[in-house]
Amino acid sequence: MKVHIYERLMAMQASRRRILKGAAGAGALALGAKGGLGALMTRASAQENLRAEILKIPGVGAGSPTDADWQRVGELCLGGTRQTVQEGEFQGVELTFMGLNNQNLHNFLFRGFLKPWEAYTGAKINWIDLAQADYNARLQQSIATGTVDFDVLEMGAPFEGDVCGKGLASEVPDWVKSLIDMDDYVDYLKAPVGTWDGKLYRISIDGDCHTFCYRTDYYDNPEFAAAWKESGGQGEWAPPKTWAEVQAHSAFLKGKKDPLTGLDAHGFLDPLKGWGGFGFYFLEDRATAYAKHPDDPAWLFDPDTMKPRVNNPAFVRAIQEVMDNMANQPPDQINADPNTTAFQQFLAGTGDMLTWWGDVGASARTSDSSVIGDVIGFDILPGSEDVYNSKTGQWEKLASGANYAPNMAYIGWGVYVMARVDGDEKKKKAAWSAAAHLGGKDISLWMSAYPSGFQPYRNSHFNYDEWEAAGYDRAFIEDYLGSNLDSYNHPNAAIEPRIPGIFQYYSVAEDELAKGYAGQYKSAQETADAIAAAWEKITDQIGRESQIQLYKASLGL
Amino acid sequence: MDNAAALPLVLDQVVRSDPVSHGRRRLGAAILAAGSLILAAILILQILYKADAIAFGFVTWRPVLYAYLLWAVTLGISQVLRRGEAGARALFVLPAILFIISMVVFPLLFGLYISFTDWNLSSTMGRRLNGFDNIRQMWRDPFYWNALYNMVLYTLAVLVEYAIAFGLALLLHSQIRARKFFRVVFLLPLMLSPVAVSWMVGKSMMEIRFGPVANFARWLGWDTPAFFTDPWFARISIMVMDAWTFIPLMMIMLLAGLQAVPKEVTEAAKVDGANSWQTFWRVVFPLTLPVSITAILIRIIFKLKIADIIINVTSGGPGGATDSVTSFIFREYRDRSNVGYGTLLAMVYLVMIVVFLTVLLNLFGRWMRGYDQQEA
Repeated sequence: MKVHIYERLMAMQASRRRILKGAAGAGALALGAKGGLGALMTRASAQENLRAEILKIPGVGAGSPTDADWQRVGELCLGGTRQTVQEGEFQGVELTFMGLNNQNLHNFLFRGFLKPWEAYTGAKINWIDLAQADYNARLQQSIATGTVDFDVLEMGAPFEGDVCGKGLASEVPDWVKSLIDMDDYVDYLKAPVGTWDGKLYRISIDGDCHTFCYRTDYYDNPEFAAAWKESGGQGEWAPPKTWAEVQAHSAFLKGKKDPLTGLDAHGFLDPLKGWGGFGFYFLEDRATAYAKHPDDPAWLFDPDTMKPRVNNPAFVRAIQEVMDNMANQPPDQINADPNTTAFQQFLAGTGDMLTWWGDVGASARTSDSSVIGDVIGFDILPGSEDVYNSKTGQWEKLASGANYAPNMAYIGWGVYVMARVDGDEKKKKAAWSAAAHLGGKDISLWMSAYPSGFQPYRNSHFNYDEWEAAGYDRAFIEDYLGSNLDSYNHPNAAIEPRIPGIFQYYSVAEDELAKGYAGQYKSAQETADAIAAAWEKITDQIGRESQIQLYKASLGL
Repeated sequence: MDNAAALPLVLDQVVRSDPVSHGRRRLGAAILAAGSLILAAILILQILYKADAIAFGFVTWRPVLYAYLLWAVTLGISQVLRRGEAGARALFVLPAILFIISMVVFPLLFGLYISFTDWNLSSTMGRRLNGFDNIRQMWRDPFYWNALYNMVLYTLAVLVEYAIAFGLALLLHSQIRARKFFRVVFLLPLMLSPVAVSWMVGKSMMEIRFGPVANFARWLGWDTPAFFTDPWFARISIMVMDAWTFIPLMMIMLLAGLQAVPKEVTEAAKVDGANSWQTFWRVVFPLTLPVSITAILIRIIFKLKIADIIINVTSGGPGGATDSVTSFIFREYRDRSNVGYGTLLAMVYLVMIVVFLTVLLNLFGRWMRGYDQQEA
């Protein structure tokens, strides 16, 4: 769980009413145990007890966990290690672990979790801590200069092309796969994510996707509903299900007043300023419904030629819609990056609709600066009545109805073991044992529930009873997690191409989009063509043939 | 003291060269040759190994570094052995020379080499020499030329900053109340990191909805006080923030210059009947010209490196209107791992800066000489 989500959750739940509610729940549970449920509870597995036990460390509302808590959780979750490793088996083995130190989480947690593991196995871990901003450069330089000086790596899936595609990673052994129950992963984190040429390299420790947030007070407003009918708006005045409806609602709201703040109302908030490559995800949010055909896993490039699809009619429609919507946006929107749209605009009461990662939902309910906590709704990303088929070059209407394609933006963090340990069986087993400890099923629940820098990523993380028993607010947790779960397991989810240099493509696209939005190109098509030309250059520079091969491998083709 | 007593002392202080024997010279040469041979052998071995020409070599280049350090030691020893006292004297500067070669000259030459390569860190093909392709790409790159155009505008803004800084320096030099307090207050922006300025001023105070500057502008009658939406307004806003940070630097230099002007000179001007303007323009300003030129040059050098405020506030936008060469290179290098092209852009920019500053210094020098002659 992201740290700020946790803190805001705690702030929200520290009310007397909620404490009393929790106490009443505990009383009911005790009564239930006496009245027959006790028999069921006694049959509960040791694993369930363990999960309940670790969720009490340090306890919801008991402040942020400390190193002692991490070590205790690590110690309690050593079961998998004890099953597969003899005590002291890795005596003399030294491993180097490279990861992040964001917000004093990531590697800081891993240190605590792995301390009992080190004590039990006898191995020693040396740490390379990196700030997020330094991560990409450090990793790329290590790869490019052949100086991979780490054995275990915390890495985002978008970089798999740079690492796994170049044969630098070690394949996940079968014993690890079964030990950490990989079948429990949400669908989109299963193959091909984590795999190259059919081989698995990743242990997931995080999940990511974009969801759709909207203001319920806009859609409960009878004046808006009447005005919508009067204006000849199509269908009922209800949260939009397609991007066409998003556009129509945004245009309709222009000139109206926000029902909550009384300020000018605005529809969908497009971030128009770049964000180190991450801003391109938000154009993708609009484009995936048009560009991701259910019969075609590819949507950003043609897998046979690496020809960009970013200037096909699907993406051009998305870019055009952003340009059309600029007239409905708040002033100075051209200088608004995704962080601004989410945290300075939407949460502060500006705008009706937004796409973002899951944490905007949590912040909306709990942040002191948020004014929309009681008027926010969630859904998967809007769809489209028609979808562009890149193979036929035609727009198609699907028999199943509108096309939806949730954007699995960034995919999430994972733990990888480097191929340099493969020559030493003892070291290899030690590295995978450490990785498996961090990616274990039980420890992952704790990481989802407490500040860790990671979001839920297993189906078992969506067992709301566990969260409620740990002290979380049921309604909030269902609201917060449910929108992510629907996206995670969507059959037509748009998975990020895990090819080398993917953020180079995004970064240059942001530059060209900025020019397009500033009116320096004549049309959306010209803007898209400029992006495609820049992408072609990057592909040629990185190596077209290898990119084709790696892109196909990333798609599982 | 008589001369007879002083003579032996003087003779003792004369440093005479040690007689260096032929054998000692040969030993020195042999040690240096051995060090050079080891360095050359390891270097060639490693180059061949990395070029896949031979099957054995070192995993990293670190042994070459060790060989270089060994060679440096043998060079020092050989200097003493071959040149005696003169060699020992050379030892005082040799480490500094070798350090500069290692840390400045070699990286510069290596950077020059990199700038003529196609090196994308994500490329499986690694680094490849590509001749003048990067220069051709730069020539056709609208983002680079746009950034250079912006740099011209940013640099011209230094003249306005200079005028303001001079005015403030005069104000603080005059007998005003709470002069010391204002000196400290005026210096505060300089103590702030440009990143802090970006967030506090650019992203908070100038924020269109709740920023106090925006609210003030609204109070003055500007309905939508968007400081970074219009290209020209965005440029000016960046210039203002940068100026706010660095005007104190110029001001403090100019204030030091003003304080160095002898009081006798200004008093003499007053005795001769000069009014305040004449005293300033004919006496004070010429006397502070060298400081002014130094302040302007230093400020231009700072200005040519502007990036942090732009990266944080506008990311170069809208549509590249505020992009600087450095912020563009930052994106090309950091976000796109385009090391070869990014290095070339930096090298060309370095050459441009060196040429520009040399020409500027020359022009200032001529102007100063002309001013002196005119005054004479």
